[in-house]
Amino acid sequence: MSTETVLGCQQLSFCWQGDWTLEPLSFELCAGERLGVIGPNGAGKSTLLKLLAGLCLPSSGTVLLQGKALTQYSRTEKARQLALLSQENEQAQAMTVAELMLLGLLPHKKLWQANSQADLNLLQQCLDQVGLSHKQHQLLSSLSGGELQRAQLGRVLMQGAKLILLDEPTNHLDIQYQHLLLQLIASLPLSLIASFHDLNLAASYCDRLLLLHQGKVMALGTPQQVLTAPLISAVFGRPCLVDENPFDGKPRLTFAPGVCA
Amino acid sequence: MKSAQLPQRWLLLFLLALGSFLFCLNTGSVSLQWQELWWCFTGKCTDPMQWQLLWQLRLPRLLLGFVAGAGLALSGALLQHLSRNPLADPYLFGVIAGAGLGATVASLYFPASLIALPLAAFVGALLAIALVLALALLARWQQLDHFILAGVAVSFLFSAATALLLYQHDPFAANRVMFWLMGSLSRASYQPLWFILPCLLLCLLLSVLFRRQLDAMLWSDQTALSLGVPVQPLRLLFLLLTAALTASIVAYCGGIGFVGLMVPHLVRMLLGSQALSLFVGSCLCGGIFLIWVDAGARTLMPSQELPLGVITSACGSLFFLLLLSRRRG
Repeated sequence: MSTETVLGCQQLSFCWQGDWTLEPLSFELCAGERLGVIGPNGAGKSTLLKLLAGLCLPSSGTVLLQGKALTQYSRTEKARQLALLSQENEQAQAMTVAELMLLGLLPHKKLWQANSQADLNLLQQCLDQVGLSHKQHQLLSSLSGGELQRAQLGRVLMQGAKLILLDEPTNHLDIQYQHLLLQLIASLPLSLIASFHDLNLAASYCDRLLLLHQGKVMALGTPQQVLTAPLISAVFGRPCLVDENPFDGKPRLTFAPGVCA
Repeated sequence: MKSAQLPQRWLLLFLLALGSFLFCLNTGSVSLQWQELWWCFTGKCTDPMQWQLLWQLRLPRLLLGFVAGAGLALSGALLQHLSRNPLADPYLFGVIAGAGLGATVASLYFPASLIALPLAAFVGALLAIALVLALALLARWQQLDHFILAGVAVSFLFSAATALLLYQHDPFAANRVMFWLMGSLSRASYQPLWFILPCLLLCLLLSVLFRRQLDAMLWSDQTALSLGVPVQPLRLLFLLLTAALTASIVAYCGGIGFVGLMVPHLVRMLLGSQALSLFVGSCLCGGIFLIWVDAGARTLMPSQELPLGVITSACGSLFFLLLLSRRRG
């Protein structure tokens, strides 16, 4: 991990109808670093990602992408630097895997430009990376949830951005695919900011964690610093036990079920 | 969709278009010899009646039918793409109700004028679209659902006004408006082509240029924005284009239903749902479909013409029933 800053924000906040959705916060992301954003529902995770992606304007503060204010980028310039994998109900199921992934070239192409042989070579390379070469002509509707997420990730790779924002990337995936997807992302030379509901996944795959609660930053640091029993119990309102994951040495959380509370 | 089959399907579609064009050119109450047809085309026509039949009646009607079908199918495909709703249709924005009101006013107050009806229908359609857009923009509505709701509201308003006018006036006018609403190419000439064709070509050109952006908009707004697509301006641009295209077609051909709804579904099954093939394919298929429908309308009943809407609606109903049974199976 180098010390070059990819993304930084200073006193970034978002206020909606008089309420703080996100109170002023500042942090920096180094090249190659993976930052996990965690917190209960309504903590402001998605709002933070939208602000960082430039999808909505902050009430105060600025986002700096490669040292330049996000608002100074043109749409396509921004899209070449920063990609977003959002968790909306996507319905374009009648496209093929290759068609979806070629959409990633959009910010690199003039309106009248056709896809060149170099683009098709890049497509093959990205298909190999996400392990979908054998399914490139299949319709998205015929894929499993995990394959669909990998196809989406392939689109992001085609986009060529060095920074990816992921909004709950492991939603709707079974345990095997959750790990396969995050393992794949971790193996790529990318900087990453992702929101998580599963704290153990966040601990295992992120270098640093940002814990949000009701729009406030509760903690920012390594998983060991952030995932402490008193803090997590207080934020999630549930007794919690923290020990060490025997596989990777990262913190492991166990929550008390309702009957024991 | 196997990509290997695609070039063959395109070739087939172009051949079908050419064949349909030739066949329908020689379909009607008077049948010409192919040789006579060729002579008339090359300017060696022996019979002035035949020359007139071909150049003044059949050809403009065929061209208008093709262009109208292509335009309706393209509008439908664009709107279904933009709204991510497979049941969107070019008459979504109250175009047909607005044109209906215009046609009613023209039939009641200027029954003798030939130009009054298409002109009034066009103005009525534009009025309906303007009202829908004004409603949606004033209320700062962003999603296409809002446009659709505004379209439904405006449609009902204009239909109520039409019904009131017809109820209070001449019953013969009601007949004429009804027949016009069912759609017909019987008023075909070269003049409407100058009007509709530029709209169609502009729409097609822009949808081909913006094919990647339109494909990205098939995903969520967030995804499209993150790919650098100016979602709101593009959506507004294409809504305006499709509305203008539909209004110009409705003004001359009346309300030809189901083409814009049905043809894009067929094209998706044949050529896939990527913007480029969907839009170009919809134009071709829509055009082919409507010239066959018109050939049917001219020949099915020996002494009179059927309204186009009767045939397209019947085909549409059959098509969606087939689709339903295939999905179940």
